Amino acid sequence: MKSIAAIFLIAVSSTVPAWAVLGQSQESVQSDAKTLKGTLTTTEMSGYSVQQINRDDGMVLKEFVSPEGKVFGISWKGPTMPNLSQLLGLYFAAFQDANRSTHRRGPLSIHTGPLVVETGGHLRAFHVRAYVTVLLPSGVTEAVVQ
Amino acid sequence: MSAIRVRRASLLLTAGVCLLVSTACGSGSSGTSTSSTSTSSTTGSGTTPTTVNNTQAVQVGVGPTGTDVNQLLTTITICVPGTTNCQAISNILVDTGSTGLRLLSSAVTLTLPRASDSSGHALGNCVAFANNNYAWGPVATADIQIAGEVASSVPIQLLGVSGFPAVPKACDTGGSAASSVDVLGAYGILGIGVFRQDCGSACVTAGSTLPSVYFGCPSSGCVAEAVALTQQLQNPVWMFPQDNNGVLIALPALYGSGEQSVSGSLIFGIGTQIDNALSGVTIYTTDTSGNFTVTFNGANYTDSFIDSGSNGYFFLNATTLGIPLCTAQTTFYCPSATYSAGALTSGTNSASNAIALTVANAEQLFATGNNAFNDLGGPAAGGFDLGLPFFYGRYVYVAIEDQSTTSGIGPYWAY
Repeated sequence: MKSIAAIFLIAVSSTVPAWAVLGQSQESVQSDAKTLKGTLTTTEMSGYSVQQINRDDGMVLKEFVSPEGKVFGISWKGPTMPNLSQLLGLYFAAFQDANRSTHRRGPLSIHTGPLVVETGGHLRAFHVRAYVTVLLPSGVTEAVVQ
Repeated sequence: MSAIRVRRASLLLTAGVCLLVSTACGSGSSGTSTSSTSTSSTTGSGTTPTTVNNTQAVQVGVGPTGTDVNQLLTTITICVPGTTNCQAISNILVDTGSTGLRLLSSAVTLTLPRASDSSGHALGNCVAFANNNYAWGPVATADIQIAGEVASSVPIQLLGVSGFPAVPKACDTGGSAASSVDVLGAYGILGIGVFRQDCGSACVTAGSTLPSVYFGCPSSGCVAEAVALTQQLQNPVWMFPQDNNGVLIALPALYGSGEQSVSGSLIFGIGTQIDNALSGVTIYTTDTSGNFTVTFNGANYTDSFIDSGSNGYFFLNATTLGIPLCTAQTTFYCPSATYSAGALTSGTNSASNAIALTVANAEQLFATGNNAFNDLGGPAAGGFDLGLPFFYGRYVYVAIEDQSTTSGIGPYWAY
């Protein structure tokens, strides 16, 4: 099953720039920095690490990585909204299924199963944070995903 | 929640400035007054602008979808440039969180001239909103009439145009296309925030960080490209011959569990006429992204903003606040008792004042069948989004970047 998912991602990446997405391994972070034309810095925190890609236009993508090398959270800040299907990866379908609220005119807050996605901002200044509760390393809370 | 319901004071709409919102109409000048010359014309060469009707009626009520609440709507008139071939379009969202006029093509009966890029290809525009839906469609040109104000030959965007190329990959956010009333919630969006253009200088220079906002569309497909400022979607207000430095939005206070409908005023110009004098308010300048700071529980949220196009107070999250989300609609908070807290708003000019945030149980609010609420809230990533609830009972001034006012140059908010 794992290898099928990997093959699928490679096939997709030939047409769409693929990023290290939620729930995937951190190995592609280096190429993400290249794809996003930004610079990569890594910060070791207590119980996890943060891979941060900064771009000249103010975009900041942070990938929160567990000691096992899995991306358990992502945050985005930038002048435009990111493509959430890339950011959320295999969790995007669940996100879409849950994105059904009415009375809505504002940012999103999606809680479905272990997945949480929150957006915010306005034209020229957007924010996204997403995490998977079951992937949080022990002793680490969702509050670190900012 | 209080059971007391006070009739909305509709006087506010007709009575001009100083009747009901006492804080906006005190004596004396504002604390941050920087005197500068008031220029009310950017186009006329030496002509004195005439005084025109600068007050447009706005409403919050049952919108075209019947389900969206706290939507500030108005009616605008568009014309084929330079002609009297015009049409009025109702149910246009008044949005201080975006820039430019975007219209559902299904609501437009006129044939408007389309814009092309420097290579002669059709010019497309794409922006995504915080709800992850995206607006994609051609740039067209129209004269825009609102109240007695006219902006001539304004680049606008048409949405859901049949025959226009499909949305480019670089524009697709994975959300829905805002090309129908169901998705957009209105027939159009009138973006009148603090910026002159929707993208600005970032879209003028080609390079590795060019945002995917403007697209040239040869037959081989649409490709992101750089465009001049004048080709971009414009805030129509700064293109008016007068009253062009910003807007004032005046909505009455609400009490209890909201109202079926609310009427207010969208007034053009700041300090340009007797009805938009800037006095008794504090000026909060914004940063280059159109944000200021909200301080809450000792923490500074520097990416905070005021947005008439958001229908609630959106801030923090359930874990941080300790109040639950609604079970059916997790985009809103559902506290068991109404939540109230204070916060401090601060401009980049260091001016600051306290505000109060009140959040009631959203499901109970919706169950009332009302459409206007001053206590609807939900979570958000980033800073505080002070949406339409913030506007009730206030005069909120929005000054446009690089435009002069009697109290300094935009961008700023004042209230």
